[in-house]
Amino acid sequence: MQESGTRRQHADLKELVVEASRALARLDADRLEELALSCQALNRELAPGGTSRGAEMFRQAREAKGDMAVFARVLEATRANLDVMNRLRELRAGRLEYGERLTRGWPRTEGGHGDN
Amino acid sequence: MGTINSAFSMMSGALDADQAALNIVANNVANASTTGYTEETPNWQENAPVEINGVSYGTGVTETGPTSVRDTVLEERLNQQQQLASASGSRLTALNSIQALFTPDSGSTSSTAGDIGSDLTSFFNSFSSLEANPTNNSDRQEVLSSAKTLAGDVSNAAASLNSQRSALDQEASGVTSQVNSLTSALAQLNLQIQSTSPNGDAGTLEDQRQEDLSQLSKLIGINQITTENNSLSITTTSGELLVSGGTSNQLTTGKVNGVTDFFLGGTDVTSQLTSGGGELGGYLTARDQDIPSALSSLDQLAYSVSTQVNTLNNAGTDADGTEGTGTNSSGITGTGATPLYIFSQSTQVAGSAASMSVVMTDPNQIAAAGLGDGTGDNSNATVMAKLANSSIVNGQTPINYYSNFVSTLGATVSGVQTENAAQTASVTQLQTQNGALSSVNLNDEASSMTTLERSYQAASQVFSMLNTIMASALNLGEQSTVS
Repeated sequence: MQESGTRRQHADLKELVVEASRALARLDADRLEELALSCQALNRELAPGGTSRGAEMFRQAREAKGDMAVFARVLEATRANLDVMNRLRELRAGRLEYGERLTRGWPRTEGGHGDN
Repeated sequence: MGTINSAFSMMSGALDADQAALNIVANNVANASTTGYTEETPNWQENAPVEINGVSYGTGVTETGPTSVRDTVLEERLNQQQQLASASGSRLTALNSIQALFTPDSGSTSSTAGDIGSDLTSFFNSFSSLEANPTNNSDRQEVLSSAKTLAGDVSNAAASLNSQRSALDQEASGVTSQVNSLTSALAQLNLQIQSTSPNGDAGTLEDQRQEDLSQLSKLIGINQITTENNSLSITTTSGELLVSGGTSNQLTTGKVNGVTDFFLGGTDVTSQLTSGGGELGGYLTARDQDIPSALSSLDQLAYSVSTQVNTLNNAGTDADGTEGTGTNSSGITGTGATPLYIFSQSTQVAGSAASMSVVMTDPNQIAAAGLGDGTGDNSNATVMAKLANSSIVNGQTPINYYSNFVSTLGATVSGVQTENAAQTASVTQLQTQNGALSSVNLNDEASSMTTLERSYQAASQVFSMLNTIMASALNLGEQSTVS
């Protein structure tokens, strides 16, 4: 993993952002974690005292702006999908609980929904 | 004996139940690569116990049929995202064609709509040249020639936009038959499901219904409501009924003001379908909003430039000493009998781009001189050259107005591109989740959720770091610019 992070140190910023969007679209968690390492390496490079290539990075950052917008929207959509999936999980858990109570002979009243 | 018989009966019942369950598993495996097939699981029901000599004995289980592993809420979310992705996809295709029209073609020798910006510059520059040599015939020819190039490119751009609009109209109209065919099929499936599985999952029939719903979602924006007996009502996103039980309402079309409008039960639902989503929503948004907006900008440009140039030329004196019929800024009115117009004069903004043309044929009619100033004067040519830097089109110079129009179009394309990329990614994610849940797949739901959560967390981390990197990089650039 570290090797991959080091390998991508000099990758184009735009390429990195596009790859992150793609990996998120296909839910490739391994690839995203690799990309996180690449970003860490790049971040160190840009830190004070790092071996940053100011003008080059400036150009790359400007070129990657549009792709960052896409990545932000994909991340937002993923958050929404995750919310839906979490709600579904809760709903199913609720259903199961409700079903178990019925088989145990609990009365079909409001109390059965767990309100009280 | 009774006990032995009971034991045999239980054993054969268990074997029957196992065989039924094996059949379901075999069916799952056989359909592993069938599109839209949902995995089925066997249902077991405990048999009633028997009482022998006061003791109750269990009698095993019976397999009561399969239930499909599906989640309608997830499938509905997938359909909704599909509607959005299809809408932005079809709109993006149309917008890319519009944008291509206004992109300069460096390899082309002939002038095109993409050259309108440089046409405007050349046209006003030709007046600057004429200003220096007001009696020079080739400079006069150049004014007419550059005016013709500008008018030709503007009118061709308008014609191309109108033809793209017609093509989109046809595409939109073509969706109708597909929608009607799917809604009819859905109504039929509703009837079959109602009669065969009013209280439970209908297995393959349900798969077919979901597949048709998914197809319909790609075409138009829909809402689905589960009704009694496992039936489904389908409406447009704005609530017009498409399918109710076994009945489907057919979408019809008719021409209104030259374009196809869509009707449901006699009501015009075009605007509702435009904002509803699906391919049809995308086509209609491009047809009724994006193209008219581009046409309107071009009309404004053509109208303002034509009107301003004509007004000034008509308030001057041509190379033959003939005056126009207009009044100049000093209040002097020309003595001419007919107006000295370079461009065709529109009476209204709408349609000005399509009809833009050069009506002047004699270059001597260009009124470079002011009224009463003699034929060698250049004062009117000076005023006309200055139009390039005057705010004559909606408070902007002609070149800035055109440049802003192209930038706005580019920003719209970029915005829709971003939306489409995100929506397509969302659809891919949901398909993965739905696949893990309902397809014949080794991944179980829990591991699928873990992957989703892990991906989101890693992506959030990447995003946050990239944000910091971008900010630092942009800051570094600014620092080096300052130093």
